[in-house]
Amino acid sequence: MIPIEYFLVLGAILFAIGAYGALTKSNAIIVLMCIELMLNAANINFVAFGAFNADVMGQAFVVMSISVAAAEVAVGIAILLNAYKLRKTTELDDKQLRSMRW
Amino acid sequence: MDMTTIFGDYTAFAPMLILMVSALLLPGVQMLTKRRTVTWAFAFVMTIVAMAVNIIMLTGDFTGSSLGLVEYDGFTGLMNALFLAVLFLAVLVSNASVETTRLHVGAYYALMIGATVGMMFVASSSDLLTIFVGVELTSISSYALVALKRNDARSAEAAVKYVIIGGMSTALTLYGISMLYGLTGTTVIADIANNLTEMNWMVAIAFISMIAGYGFKIAAGPFHMWAPDVYEGAATPVSMFLATGSKKMGLAVFIQIFMVLFAAGTTCADIIGEEVQYLFAIIAAITMTVGNIVAIAQNNIKRMLAYSSIAQAGYILIILAVMNEYALTAGLFHMITHVFMKGGAFLIVGALICVGLGEKISDYKGLAKRAPFLAFAMMLFLFSLAGIPPLAGFTSKFFLFSSAIGGVDGVTSQWVWLAFVAILNSAISLYYYARVVKAMYIEKGTTTEKVKIPAAFMVAIVICVLAVIVLGIFPDAVFELCEGAAAVVMG
Repeated sequence: MIPIEYFLVLGAILFAIGAYGALTKSNAIIVLMCIELMLNAANINFVAFGAFNADVMGQAFVVMSISVAAAEVAVGIAILLNAYKLRKTTELDDKQLRSMRW
Repeated sequence: MDMTTIFGDYTAFAPMLILMVSALLLPGVQMLTKRRTVTWAFAFVMTIVAMAVNIIMLTGDFTGSSLGLVEYDGFTGLMNALFLAVLFLAVLVSNASVETTRLHVGAYYALMIGATVGMMFVASSSDLLTIFVGVELTSISSYALVALKRNDARSAEAAVKYVIIGGMSTALTLYGISMLYGLTGTTVIADIANNLTEMNWMVAIAFISMIAGYGFKIAAGPFHMWAPDVYEGAATPVSMFLATGSKKMGLAVFIQIFMVLFAAGTTCADIIGEEVQYLFAIIAAITMTVGNIVAIAQNNIKRMLAYSSIAQAGYILIILAVMNEYALTAGLFHMITHVFMKGGAFLIVGALICVGLGEKISDYKGLAKRAPFLAFAMMLFLFSLAGIPPLAGFTSKFFLFSSAIGGVDGVTSQWVWLAFVAILNSAISLYYYARVVKAMYIEKGTTTEKVKIPAAFMVAIVICVLAVIVLGIFPDAVFELCEGAAAVVMG
């Protein structure tokens, strides 16, 4: 059987990639994708822990978090579409999306 | 009246159930009747029904749980009453406001009610899974609510910031929760408290990412940058709903998770309690200082109120540093008074936008001549936020800061410095609140034409004024409820 550390390291690497992308990328769609990566890193942890503890709660949590993530992305993309219609950009460091500061 | 005869096994759900059903029906009501007022009336009546059911359950000392998911006790009842009061005020003024959407009225009320259900879910759960789902229900509804002002570019920008920062905080918290679950094999908070027996790097990651993630939700410093943009961009009833309701939800999460984990005697408190308390003390100090200092520089009144509500969240975070029952009581009481003073201030801003006044503080020049009652009410709310006796804000801040000083048993606590920072901050805050009062009362406006605001706003503002005065002078009844709620949480 594969030791649990392997899963945790995979999760941690995914989380780090997601966090790096979310903090450095300027395109809002890529940022949303990076957030998905971070969420899935946590899901991998849940499934691994659930399997190793022989507990269904981990799987139950993953089902919940996948549906929550789907809802979040649906709303997020709708918001981005609306912003694109009004401001003609999805670049987060564009002046158009930075009118309010401090 | 006994609610169990009506709702049976679902009694602990009852107020939420009413709201859930009405949230599902609302878009249909709008589609069939095509009349804004009918939809509004339906949402308003259902809010009042839920509120009545909750008050009957709260005063009848109902306790119980449903489906093993939701528990109803004194704390739940009090928080439900708070969230429902916020919903009541927000729905009451929404139909009269010129800022709320004209297109998707059904969706607007459904989202607002859905967000409230999420908040109530958080307040009534003792499991990380239900807390997570409740928080997300509120957050996702709030993103959509902010974006509903569809043709406003500022609102679109605010919604983009809100959804991205909210998503990141969700991912952070979920990662933290997964670590806690892995360590203890359970998601029930009371079990986690006693299953964590040794300190290691996983515990550290779990707590850091959970505190950071939920810190984003309450806009605690240094994770507060989204809040002013969102409150400025959203329609004013929505800003009011977020600043008073959504923020209290985040604080309820902190109370539900950390007060239970670190209540005296748990193994969790032994291994990491002290460090977490210091972390919260530092976050509280940063939050209130940043909020108050940046608020000084604001010219837009909604932004100023947003920074002021960041500062208020900082004051309330004192309870997580002190972490005893008296502090929790005081914090709950401050959360309740904050709803009325901050809510009232936002309502006045919203009412004045309806009659064509701007959002700049300079637009408020000479308001005392144009609308004597509104100017007076605004002064009351701002002075209450600053903590001037005999208003509600003074009473609750007094309890809150005195809990940090300690001295209940004759011993001064180690958090005296935190109380000192908080009092210093209150003094700073008086400066920017007084600026608005000065503009209203002393400076001359360009016109002296009388202002007439919609009746719904007037009713809501009068309710807030009464609450601010009554809670300031006669805090006993509500304070006792808070004591009961705090005793439940601290076991």
